[in-house]
Amino acid sequence: MNKKIPVILDGDPGHDDAIAWVLANASPMLDIKAVTSVCGNQTIEKTTYNAGRIMTLIGLTAPLAMGRVKPLVADAIIAPTVHGNSGLDGPALPEPSAKPVSQDACTLMAEILEASEEPVVLIPTGPLTNIATLLLLYPHLKSKIRHIYLMGGGIDFGNWTPAAEFNILVDPEAADVVFQSGVPITMAGLDVTEQALVFPEDFERIRALNNPVATVVAEWLDFFYGFHRSIGYPGAPVHDAVAVAALIKPEIMTMVDMYVAIETTGDYCKGTTVGDKHGTLGKPANARVIMGIDRKAFVDLLAEAAAHYGASHFGKEA
Amino acid sequence: MNKLPMLLDCDTGVDDAVAILFTKYLNTLELVAATTVAGNVEVEHTTRNTLQVLELAGMGHVPVYMGADKPLLGETVTAHHIHGMNGLNDIELPLPKRAAEAMPAWDAIYEFAKKTPGQLTVVAVGPLTNLALAIAKYKELPGLLKRIVIMGGAAVGGNVTPAAEFNIYADPEAADMVFTCGAPVYMCGLDVTMRAYVTAQELDEIAALGSKQAVFARDVMQGILQFYCTYKLGGVAFHDPVTVLYADDDSYFQTDHAGVRVETKGKLTRGKTVTDLYSDKQMEHNAYVVTNLDREVFKRRVFEIMAQYGE
Repeated sequence: MNKKIPVILDGDPGHDDAIAWVLANASPMLDIKAVTSVCGNQTIEKTTYNAGRIMTLIGLTAPLAMGRVKPLVADAIIAPTVHGNSGLDGPALPEPSAKPVSQDACTLMAEILEASEEPVVLIPTGPLTNIATLLLLYPHLKSKIRHIYLMGGGIDFGNWTPAAEFNILVDPEAADVVFQSGVPITMAGLDVTEQALVFPEDFERIRALNNPVATVVAEWLDFFYGFHRSIGYPGAPVHDAVAVAALIKPEIMTMVDMYVAIETTGDYCKGTTVGDKHGTLGKPANARVIMGIDRKAFVDLLAEAAAHYGASHFGKEA
Repeated sequence: MNKLPMLLDCDTGVDDAVAILFTKYLNTLELVAATTVAGNVEVEHTTRNTLQVLELAGMGHVPVYMGADKPLLGETVTAHHIHGMNGLNDIELPLPKRAAEAMPAWDAIYEFAKKTPGQLTVVAVGPLTNLALAIAKYKELPGLLKRIVIMGGAAVGGNVTPAAEFNIYADPEAADMVFTCGAPVYMCGLDVTMRAYVTAQELDEIAALGSKQAVFARDVMQGILQFYCTYKLGGVAFHDPVTVLYADDDSYFQTDHAGVRVETKGKLTRGKTVTDLYSDKQMEHNAYVVTNLDREVFKRRVFEIMAQYGE
């Protein structure tokens, strides 16, 4: 069997972060070294608490570290309309079985990178505050980062504002640091994640798996779809899970290498990911941008991951 | 059927030149005046080119009014690499027999609007400086116009930068003034104009129609065939001509009511037409964005019109 890929999950859970982590934790390809929280969908206290609850639910025992209280420069923006007041409304969840470690997120990430014999993959699915802080404080550790698979941005359109996607809008300066870092990036932006729709009939397929995690995933999807249905979506775009899927199942996606830069000022475009599709700027590509996905294969991947959490999964943990 | 009046505000320009040729044989609109602006090339060139192409089209009676020689703020942005030194792919047309009128473009726009309240369509296919100045000077102007149809912007992408289209980038402040002026504004941006392309073979078929106007249309456009290879386009985009066709008859286009504002401050996004067509967040719907067309009907119209110039 191939060696597992060491990864760090960094997110602001959030329903789609939660489902991304269910997917990552079910994959035999990945060795989850740590989980770090960031403020985004909700305040840092809430996203950290949610991260602990998710880890307990899915039996993930890696260390959890809390991220920075706010974005690098900007004030925090939260998204209660999408994720509820708790940041992860919907089904009841177990209380966290362990406390966050005493180090902050970027210190824990730095320690893991230092100690790791091989480069580590980072999977940020929230604002890029922690990743940028890591890159700014420990530039010598760049070589220990194998790749960043991120959910954020959109080359052709935005969501939270007409020109910007939420994760990039919340901390544009951090995103700028990450995209200019030279670390290999795969970007799962709205171009692909709005195609990664999970339909109500798919919820039922997952619910029918009838294990404790699958049941919760179906109920998360029920809740998450509520907001999206109200603005006309035929399904729930499970944005963050695309970033994980890009690592474990890239063959179901189409990707284009291009130069991507972050707009950090402007009346309407703060947080825009400007993608140089036609090479107008003549700069070398710094990101692999995912532009398409086989939706059915993506849903199959989520369903298979949810099926992984039968009795034997928890039996092993106990 | 009585045709309604149309004023063309242009920065002639290779595709502006073809747009001017098209104005002679429209179904619903009659060209009553042309105004010129700096854009593709300097305003002296765009004015001379406009006079020359009108005479080539046999429309030497249409008055031409010279407009702004630079944007509201900052320096003139030109595109000589696309349009040639003289703006017409360096094709030398006979010198114009007449000069531009004495009245400046912004006053002319107002005077023609006042002459036929609620009936004038302004088709603006260059930077929007003249219209912005007219709006600034005459507060009742937007209420006098039937509609403003612009070639400019893009809901998705850009050309002069990854985020901005040339005409809007050349004067973003003017463009935002026009989008928010209160008159109905129709945006024919890259979303639709890049789909309104004509292949090299079709350009030759146009020239084969035989008239000097048809041969000129091919010759003036084919210099930019190479440029569009970057965009993997099968031919040359008829940005300005398709905008005139849209103003004439929008039945074979898709148009969506949307919010549009122009970014004027971004470091990377100055001149971006920000639209809410594809976002969760909605803005005030102040404009109409043209997003698609039936290319077969477009092609048919191009040939119908050019055929009317005879052999």
